[in-house]
Amino acid sequence: MTEQQLMALLPFMVLAAASIVIILLIAFRQGHTVIQVTGFLLMCLVIFAMWYVRGVLPQTIAPLLIVDGFGALFTGLIVFCVLVVGLFSYIYFEEREENPREYYILIFLSTLGAAILTISRHFMSFFIGLELLSISLYALIAYLRTRNNAIEAGIKYLVLAALTSAFLLFGMALIYMETGSMDFAVIAQRLNAAGKSSALFLTGFGVMMVAVGFKLALVPFHLWAADVYQGAPSPVASFIATVSKVGVFAVFLRFCQELHLQNNSAVMMLISAVAILSMISGNILALRQQNLKRLLAYSSIAHFGYLLVAFLPGNNTGVEAAVFYLTAYAITILAAFGIIILLSPGEKDADSLSMYRGLFWDKPFMAIVLTVALLSLAGIPLTAGFIGKFYVLTAGVEQRAWLPVIVLVITSVIGLYYYLRIISTIFADSPVTIQKERSLNQFFYTASYAALVVLTLLLFGIGVMPAVIIQGIKQFLVIDR
Amino acid sequence: MHQTLSLIPALPLAGFLILSLLGRRLPNRLVALIGAGVISAAAIIAIWLGISFLQAPPDSGAYSVELWRWMSVANFNCSFSLHVDALSLVFVFVITFVGALIHIYSAGFMKHDRDYARFFASMNLFVCAMLLLVMADNLVLLYLGWEGVGLCSYLLIGFWYETTANVQAANKAFYITRVGDTAMAIGFFLLFRELGTLDIPAIQKLAPEHFTSGSPIITAIALLLLAGGMGKSAQVPLQTWLPDAMAGPSPVSALIHAATMVTAGVYLVARMHVLFQLSPLVMSITAVIGALTLFIAGCSAMVQTDIKRILAYSTISQVGYMFLALGVGAWSAGVFHFFTHAFFKALLFLAAGAVIESLHHEHGIFKMGGLKNKMPLVFYTFLAGAAALAALPLITAGFFSKDQVLWYALSANGGNPLLWIVALLGAFITAFYTTRLMLVVFWGTEKTHVGELPGRLMTLPLVILAILSICAGFIEWPHNMLHITLFSDLVQKVLPPVVEAEPVPSEALFQLIAVVATFSGVFVGYLLYRKNTSIIESWKQTPAMVWLRDFFYTGWKFDELYNILFVRPFVFITQLNKQDVIDKIYAGIVSLFQRLNGIFSVSQDGSVRTYVIGVLIGIIFILALQLIL
Repeated sequence: MTEQQLMALLPFMVLAAASIVIILLIAFRQGHTVIQVTGFLLMCLVIFAMWYVRGVLPQTIAPLLIVDGFGALFTGLIVFCVLVVGLFSYIYFEEREENPREYYILIFLSTLGAAILTISRHFMSFFIGLELLSISLYALIAYLRTRNNAIEAGIKYLVLAALTSAFLLFGMALIYMETGSMDFAVIAQRLNAAGKSSALFLTGFGVMMVAVGFKLALVPFHLWAADVYQGAPSPVASFIATVSKVGVFAVFLRFCQELHLQNNSAVMMLISAVAILSMISGNILALRQQNLKRLLAYSSIAHFGYLLVAFLPGNNTGVEAAVFYLTAYAITILAAFGIIILLSPGEKDADSLSMYRGLFWDKPFMAIVLTVALLSLAGIPLTAGFIGKFYVLTAGVEQRAWLPVIVLVITSVIGLYYYLRIISTIFADSPVTIQKERSLNQFFYTASYAALVVLTLLLFGIGVMPAVIIQGIKQFLVIDR
Repeated sequence: MHQTLSLIPALPLAGFLILSLLGRRLPNRLVALIGAGVISAAAIIAIWLGISFLQAPPDSGAYSVELWRWMSVANFNCSFSLHVDALSLVFVFVITFVGALIHIYSAGFMKHDRDYARFFASMNLFVCAMLLLVMADNLVLLYLGWEGVGLCSYLLIGFWYETTANVQAANKAFYITRVGDTAMAIGFFLLFRELGTLDIPAIQKLAPEHFTSGSPIITAIALLLLAGGMGKSAQVPLQTWLPDAMAGPSPVSALIHAATMVTAGVYLVARMHVLFQLSPLVMSITAVIGALTLFIAGCSAMVQTDIKRILAYSTISQVGYMFLALGVGAWSAGVFHFFTHAFFKALLFLAAGAVIESLHHEHGIFKMGGLKNKMPLVFYTFLAGAAALAALPLITAGFFSKDQVLWYALSANGGNPLLWIVALLGAFITAFYTTRLMLVVFWGTEKTHVGELPGRLMTLPLVILAILSICAGFIEWPHNMLHITLFSDLVQKVLPPVVEAEPVPSEALFQLIAVVATFSGVFVGYLLYRKNTSIIESWKQTPAMVWLRDFFYTGWKFDELYNILFVRPFVFITQLNKQDVIDKIYAGIVSLFQRLNGIFSVSQDGSVRTYVIGVLIGIIFILALQLIL
């Protein structure tokens, strides 16, 4: 390993070190606040490290990893999400019964897994990253272990994740059997040399799709999503919705790009089918949902269906659209979960829609942030979600993927119904106040509010001036070419 | 120069923005200062612009400035540009100058109203829209202004929205003008299809080459544009909204429903005169509609008892004169009548507003009376306006403009004796009802106690307008008297001169007849309402006269006619469709998705068993898909 390769890995090493630092802090009996602040600073350090090493990119660390603009972009998005989730976690866990300190170890480990996924170029690193992500998640989901829902959700996730991981390994084995390699680039070469893709490869890919579909909660592997979102502590749910999915999507995108699977009609057919099914079922399931966390789960199923439409073209526009969409989506979902977290009283989460009736009259700031987030999810102009959806549509239309595009448009209309339903609830009269005693630590409240303001401004900022973000994405994507 | 041009509509817009955003927090004094100030500033700029235009006319005959490109789609380009030629200049002057006076008057008139800021904000927006309408370089921008004035008219008629009748009046105005607006929009579409452009200078250049005179398509376009003008200018058969529009505050009636907005149709026809000239048929229709309107509305004005409704019908009638002039090809005469009418009719409305305000919101003229000595200043100014309206010869502005219209109704190429007779009859009627109004309101015994007299803010505009009602006509004299034709010299830079039919009869004779008609109108009014009131009493016993009065009073039963023709069938249809058939489709979609939601939700039963089955089905599905392909 050269010095430059080592340098390129610096952000990831800082990320790995973060968990160890937290363990040491716990060993030295430090309090929640110290751990939180240290964790926050460490995440900032990761971002700083990434900025610091930008000159040496791209670096291939054969055979497992490649640190390039693509990886840096996704890692940046992941770390940003973790920063926000971490900030919200403080208030959430400070008011809960459980000792919160080990939570941060798990979160950072999980983040490391997701980050490794974004830079992996080999089945080995793919699998290791995925398991690192998942295993921490099992514990995270069940973190509030005295609650029935939490344990149940954790077990469900464990059983299904184990099942699908087995399929992932099986799929990898089939592809290895066919091509004799686990390196993405080499697989691509071998497949190219062979000309037509074989049935064995297709089967292998199909089986791998099970695991990817499971992690991204795509239909028909989506059934866990609602239960897990509901059962998991809200910060963890937002973590699953953002970090975990961004990581898995990144590696999947890289794999398909590397192998030029977008030119493979069979694979595209499969992905379109999954996309269409996800858009339809996600939106229909959400229609009459009364639980906000479950609703967000269904909405995320639909959103990843939309994302796959952007993914279909496989050219630069597609990748840009996908990254842009993910960014907009992550910011939006963080804002929505931020509100849930801040509103949740100690004993349970504020997830029932009835708790939001007339929120505007009681807590106008929260109501406005949540409204903006929901409008962005629905893709209303002037919000980031609109530009994201527009971008996805453009990519889809360019590829002439008419069926997915039409389904996208129709299901977006259906989706509008349940987003507006929540908004109308928020602005309804007869306010029900959510009783919540002020936390001891005013500083973190202020910080969380500030984070929400930043997220809301970003939603508008990206919605009004998308060119800035798009330019940034393009610049990053150029690095690996 | 170009930047100052854009200031004229920009100032009222700025006033509107400030007042609508901050108006509630500002003290009334400041609101009035901003509201009236911006219009006055615009008026000063407009006057300055006019002076420089007269001193050194620009080479192209117009000042124009392109502010920005509005839209550019395929080969359709539309810019946000202003274009001020002699015709626009006349309108801009009247809008800003009379507008400023009315705003100053309003500062006093509305001082007890709690929605002071809302009033000035709407008025400023109106002025801005009206200026855009007359300064627009293309028909799209003109349409923006056109709809803008419609909106403001709606907002201001329904200004006191707590009374249902006011809201209904606002709705009525909006619906009926909409008929015309829609026709006009279709006319624009046709024009665009034919010429491929909506720029007014380009249309004026292209139209004579493209269309053959009297072809069906140009007739259709001109007719549709005329319909638009008729809607806004309250011409028969779209006149019924204007009398009801008097529900708004008096300054609104003065500005919108007398001086400016109702003459938008006159502007449109004059502006598009190239198209109208290409269709002699539509020209004749314009003249006939003008003549019909002036007669029908004049008859109604004779029997009204509400002071503002008298003036409203009178406005319809006077705008009818303008249309008549345009229709016979006397373009500058029509615009000249608009010019003088703006002064004296605004004056009459403002003075009527002062009377109403002093008599504790009393509108009925028969409950007034004897105000001559109680409100001398209002009386003298009102007298000046009434004299101008009745067109008393040589000493009033109304005479000079109406004399031209009457003369050209006979002598112009498009004129004929029948039109002249109707116009003459109209002159008689006008003199009659004006005399009636004056006598009933200002002479006789006092019937309602006079309250607070109008303050200086209100009287100053009255005086200025009274002076103008007398003097504004001196810039254009009949040919056979003095050779002063300042006004027609100006507008004939844009509008074609009148083509007189051969042989030209003796003008002086017909002038004399017109003067006689005016004076006999005055005399009959005097006879019936002052000298010998028993004649009217005896008429009240005659069934035929009572019926006729009722017929005129209800505006020739147009409202009833429309009620039978449109309202009742519509209500009938809506009653048939009470269940809303179309809505069933959407209800079906809703229940379909609700059912689908139920079906899909079955899979979410919470047991891991089902979820594993789901995953397995997924795998089978994927593998099957792979095998098929």
